[in-house]
Amino acid sequence: MRVILAEDSTLLREGLVRLLAEEGHEVLAAVGDADALLREVEAHAPDVVVTDIRMPPDHTDEGLRAAVRIRELRPEIGVVVLSQYVERNYAAQLLTSSAERVGYLLKDRVAQVEEFLDALERVHAGGAAIDPEVVRQLLIRTTHVDPLTRLTPRERTVLEALAEGHTNAAIGEKLHISLSAVEKNLNAIFDKLGLHRTTGYSRRVLAVLRYLES
Amino acid sequence: MSDGVKEPVAAPFLLRVVGVLIGCLTALLGLGYFVVAGAALGAFLLWPRTRGRAHALLASGARRLTGVERWRRSVFFHDTFPEHRASDQQILRYLAARTYSGLLCAVVVGLVDFGAVLAGIFAVSLTTRATMTWVDVLSQVVLGGTLLFLAVQGLRALTDQDARLASECFGPSERELLQRRIDELATSRAAVVQAVDVERRRVERDLHDGVQQRLVALAMLLGRARRGRTPERADALLEQAHKEAQEVLTELREVAWRVYPTALDSLGLREALGGVSERSAIPVRMEYDVPAPLPPAVETAAYFVVSETVTNAAKHSLADEVHVTVRGSGATLTVVVRDTGAGGADPAGSGLTGLHSRVAALDGTLRVDSPLGGPTTITAELPCA
Repeated sequence: MRVILAEDSTLLREGLVRLLAEEGHEVLAAVGDADALLREVEAHAPDVVVTDIRMPPDHTDEGLRAAVRIRELRPEIGVVVLSQYVERNYAAQLLTSSAERVGYLLKDRVAQVEEFLDALERVHAGGAAIDPEVVRQLLIRTTHVDPLTRLTPRERTVLEALAEGHTNAAIGEKLHISLSAVEKNLNAIFDKLGLHRTTGYSRRVLAVLRYLES
Repeated sequence: MSDGVKEPVAAPFLLRVVGVLIGCLTALLGLGYFVVAGAALGAFLLWPRTRGRAHALLASGARRLTGVERWRRSVFFHDTFPEHRASDQQILRYLAARTYSGLLCAVVVGLVDFGAVLAGIFAVSLTTRATMTWVDVLSQVVLGGTLLFLAVQGLRALTDQDARLASECFGPSERELLQRRIDELATSRAAVVQAVDVERRRVERDLHDGVQQRLVALAMLLGRARRGRTPERADALLEQAHKEAQEVLTELREVAWRVYPTALDSLGLREALGGVSERSAIPVRMEYDVPAPLPPAVETAAYFVVSETVTNAAKHSLADEVHVTVRGSGATLTVVVRDTGAGGADPAGSGLTGLHSRVAALDGTLRVDSPLGGPTTITAELPCA
């Protein structure tokens, strides 16, 4: 895939460029701030953008704002943001429009090379990639919410995998259960959470996340 | 830090005597003023519609006379008064009280003179005609001595009162001083809290921009090494990762040191400052002359003044050398950092503001002198009491 990177740490930027190159992806540009990112996106029209949230000049949420803007202007471009900490608010901002071609990962996830590359692939394919840690924290925070406590441990793990943006098949692989078992679990989850059954998994993610954030 | 009216250095005795005598004259002036101005403005002062104007007029004249008194106090008694503007009410009250006590003083001085003349006559009569009995002489001496004692006591009390009146009117009152000190403490306390937050933010930034990025990069190298297509490729990546791990350790040590130099606790200020000059990107010349041991809080503040300013000089000033002097003299530790750079340091910048708060919290002062074109001199004075 054709990728543009925005990351202010030179060291990490170089590492990412090398990693993506080794995996056979094409890095069109690697920049250090949000303005340059927007310019490069305009110039190259990449498949996927990977951007750090905290970048110069203020080191607050420049990257996130750029990502939201790219999603508004060019929804066909996949956007993956790397966050320093789990920020529900950031995740929510990113996912408000749709949960397609979008990723919200903790920065440390980059270190888990396979998971990172897998998340990129998922976003490129039109799906979503939410960092497992984000999902975990959202779940922890909502344990007091009634419907969730009614889930069995198995259903909870399935829900986590679902919220991360995995397909049914991938969930089955991940948890070593059959596809039909995954579907059965999902139906049980949706029933317990009072969500309508839909087929588009990104919408399911969105529904789950929204529900978790309520 | 202001400590209100400083304890004046006593003026020579003769000068003070002259001051007292002049004070008697100025009291007459005051009396004259009140009589004349009172007569002229009295009616207007009683009339409600003109009262304000008349009062202001009376006070402005009184203010001039008060200026004379102030001059007299500073010249003859070496009083030092802080910048302070008294209200009209205060001025009038002062002039009235001062006139009264000045006149009383004039009376006492007159009595002393009269007594001196009588004593002279008495002494002369003793030597010329010995018509007095011993009892007469003794009674005269006792009476004269008692009166002299009373007069001297009176004079002392009046001169003390003169000084007190002046300090109350020309300087801030006790209450104002307390108020000022409370304001000062409130400000410095707020500033300290803010400085702590700024420091924390900096530590977070250090960890995030330095250590964490390196760690992520390191983990990424290892991940790439594991995915390495060939053993040689994997080896090369592992070697890079190994190097990177050492860099991370160095970075971590640096960050920890910036947060708090443990050498301060274990080895003291001198050693910790030695560390600063070793780490500095530009040469640091250090003069250290502190005979007595310092309180820990003062050591910490002095350390951060030096380390921050040296870092600033290395970063922004284009200086080719920094000169640091740390000198302890009894109750004060003076830290001077001078660089040969381009100047233009901003005292309102976050680093210097933080230092300022740190120093102010110890009742010290921090002066930044950084004209465009340099050199920059930063002076901190820290009380060690």
